[in-house]
Amino acid sequence: MPIAFENVSHTYSAGTPYEYQALRNINLEITEGKMTAIIGQTGSGKSTLVQHLNALLLPDAGIVHILDRDIKAGEKAKKLKALRGEVGLVFQFPEYQLFEETIIKDVAFGPKNFGCNEEEATKRAKEALKLAGMDESYFEKSPLELSGGQKRRVAIAGILAMDPKVLVLDEPTAGLDPAGTASMMALFSKLNKEMHKTVLMVTHDMENVYTYCDDVVVLEKGQVKLHGTAREFFSDPKKCRELNILPPYIVRMKEMLNEKGFDIPESVVNMKELADYIAKEVK
Amino acid sequence: MGNFTLGRYLPLDSPIHKLDPRAKIMAMLLLLITIFFPAGWIGYGVIFVCVSVVIILSKLSVSFIWKAMKPMLFMLFFLLVINALVLKTGTVLFTIGSWSLYSDAVFQTLYIAVRLLLMIMITTCLTATTKPLEMTLGIEDLLSPFQKIGLPSHEIAMLISIALRFIPDLIDETTRIIKAQESRGVDMKEGKLMERVMAILSLIVPLFVSAFQRAEDLANAMEARGYAPGLPRTRYKQLEMKKQDWFLLACCGVLMGVIIWIAWFR
Repeated sequence: MPIAFENVSHTYSAGTPYEYQALRNINLEITEGKMTAIIGQTGSGKSTLVQHLNALLLPDAGIVHILDRDIKAGEKAKKLKALRGEVGLVFQFPEYQLFEETIIKDVAFGPKNFGCNEEEATKRAKEALKLAGMDESYFEKSPLELSGGQKRRVAIAGILAMDPKVLVLDEPTAGLDPAGTASMMALFSKLNKEMHKTVLMVTHDMENVYTYCDDVVVLEKGQVKLHGTAREFFSDPKKCRELNILPPYIVRMKEMLNEKGFDIPESVVNMKELADYIAKEVK
Repeated sequence: MGNFTLGRYLPLDSPIHKLDPRAKIMAMLLLLITIFFPAGWIGYGVIFVCVSVVIILSKLSVSFIWKAMKPMLFMLFFLLVINALVLKTGTVLFTIGSWSLYSDAVFQTLYIAVRLLLMIMITTCLTATTKPLEMTLGIEDLLSPFQKIGLPSHEIAMLISIALRFIPDLIDETTRIIKAQESRGVDMKEGKLMERVMAILSLIVPLFVSAFQRAEDLANAMEARGYAPGLPRTRYKQLEMKKQDWFLLACCGVLMGVIIWIAWFR
């Protein structure tokens, strides 16, 4: 059973002057095994949408289908804990959730909550930390001693150690330097391509979406404006701009060159290929 | 967290919202003192009518006041139980076995309930119609005469406004950390003792870390803009008492006089 939203709406602080409808009648089906980006402007409902995936938020109307479970509006949901083990949600700036004395203990906290014994949890924690690119020499240190980027790796490892089938990330690269961003994205790509996890990612970084993601969902004012493959979406820069999304550099570059009389083929997807193509044409 | 109404500001457009915060704070103090005069049911009836008029003018809904009152119900119930066990005066209402309920126990509890309701109505009316920033400006002004005897009124007001300013931030932060830890399988509502201790630790530690971080950032930002306590400062927003502010105070004064008069001749 895939991940699907059926007429889902969500309103914050209903019945008060602060009432705010974040999601309006969402219908969406996410393909399993793909890496999907959820994009849209601030306040478009991206974070609200992803928090429905592990039932941190429950729909006010409609049904959320996720991993052979149905979460219906108005129905008291049971056994949410098991679902949260299967859908790993990494919040924005997850480094704030670290609290244990040592890194290894903090990462083992998740698996222990889902019923692993001490030994098994530590084993999983070690694997997750290595996967996230943390060296063994750090394992016994306090998480508070680390740099911002390292803290984030540890926090993400804390979710990976739960071995979720679906990984949901809310702006995982916000505030990281370019090198940190690239290695973080490489990690998610590896989890998706090699370990076959479904990855959903909220992001503002179109370069990452273009380079790493298969599918794109565009949200605007709590509604789905577009759902399709990333390639197709970015092949039409005009449409991107209509949805208030600035296309990535390479797409804009191709657009400008095409206006000047070039005819760059669709197959050119990065700067190096573009440079090679131009060099060949101009010769 | 979103259901917490006691002490929350409601951004509505009403004549009460536009009053000077100093007048509102003084009026609240006068009314709170007035409640404690033993003027009997007639007196409370008069106060209730007056406060209701203010609440209607301020466009607050009955349900908002009721929500603020709700947390107190448990306390009142507790009080009723104690009164029922202790007070043995008045007429017997009914008897179960060797224990009987006396009318004074019920009346005493009702009396306190009415006082509490009035107090909550009055304070809610102040906090719901006054922006936290205006409130601290008002407090600062009202405290300034005490500067002569060494009371640092500006610092006190600054402390209050910083504390108030951080409440919504910390509430947001708390909900965020709870969600993040729930995503890691923490159950904040149930579990064995050891699990609950871990659950609370997993909330408290990150909350403290981020609160200290915020405090440091704010201190740096204030210092970078040349803030030093104790120096004379000017203000962007000047408070000014208008006719309607004096009218409010006059009304409260008259009400207080009437209540004292009722209490005197009772």
